[in-house]
Amino acid sequence: MSLPLDDLLKLSPEEIIQHNEKPSGDQLRNKAQTYYEDVYEGMELPKYMYKPTPTHLFRWSAAIENFHRIHYDLDFGINHDKNPSILVHGSWKQSVAPQFLKDFTLPGGWPWKARFEHRAMLVPGDILIMWGKVTGKYEKGGMGFVDLEIGMKTQDGIESMPGTATVVLPLRGGKPIPYPFVPPAE
Amino acid sequence: MTQPTQSALTPEVRSMIGVKGEVVEAWGVVDAEYLRRFAQAIMDPDPRFWDEEFASSTPYGEIVTPPIMVSYMASRVPPGTEDPITKAFEEDPMSDGIGRVHRHGELPRVPTNLVRVLNAGNELEIYKYPSIGDKIFFQHSYSDIRERVGRDGKPFLIITRETRYSNQKDETLCITRASTIRR
Repeated sequence: MSLPLDDLLKLSPEEIIQHNEKPSGDQLRNKAQTYYEDVYEGMELPKYMYKPTPTHLFRWSAAIENFHRIHYDLDFGINHDKNPSILVHGSWKQSVAPQFLKDFTLPGGWPWKARFEHRAMLVPGDILIMWGKVTGKYEKGGMGFVDLEIGMKTQDGIESMPGTATVVLPLRGGKPIPYPFVPPAE
Repeated sequence: MTQPTQSALTPEVRSMIGVKGEVVEAWGVVDAEYLRRFAQAIMDPDPRFWDEEFASSTPYGEIVTPPIMVSYMASRVPPGTEDPITKAFEEDPMSDGIGRVHRHGELPRVPTNLVRVLNAGNELEIYKYPSIGDKIFFQHSYSDIRERVGRDGKPFLIITRETRYSNQKDETLCITRASTIRR
């Protein structure tokens, strides 16, 4: 069952992770379209949970060829940079956000834009909750634009990536969203 | 008598707004192996990234990649160039692993004495998913420089670097903006 974010944060870390709504590959393959008419202000998107380990961080460093030692060298992180541990990459969070928006808009919508700040030091063992909430919607050029508040909270409710986003959803019975995406003229 | 605070947004700093770097081609092409590693590292099991038959039935008509995957191609070190890791540790045995490596397409530095750098935020605009085989081009520019005044009464700068990523057809794939605070 999907729990509101505020209720989720009242649970223990072990309980929080049980409410992971991150879709499987098959669920993404068969996902039904969410239409503009389906969303409403205050609606929460499915919440994705992560519990990064040092190995997850190392895999990300290797994938993007980021050799910054604060992400994999515990001795350097603690004794040189005085961090509490090795740190989760801002670049990883920045790449999870568009994935989260993509999944919400599949199969025919578009994750148009996002902006966010990086706050808080995230470390292995933290439970990270990627979340989003609808703050507004409007139609333009035959497409449905949905404004969101997004972020990534820890199990303690600390917001590490406060931000906003705008995604585009088709209108029920309306035209397809163009691909490549072309925003309507101002 | 109190000294008037000197603005950090000098004419020389202001003149950097709109300055563009060269258009640079990232080394290599978007390929299935890079896509596999990237998608697994962000834990995205989407079959649009690997199932050719399914991907052909989607609005994209082909296998696509996560939108900002190509932004990391911009920092690839081409083979045949000096090893930046070895160089970084030769210069400083306690290097943070990044070093002070000049990268192609970098913008000229903003002429300010404010040297402390803090991340102020990021923006993404996504227009097209990269395709397998795409060559990736990128170009940096200073899209905005603003002055703010801190609680201590001292001015600081917010510098925004915009990067446009495009493919071999000059189609815009995505635009990123990274803002940094200079104190």
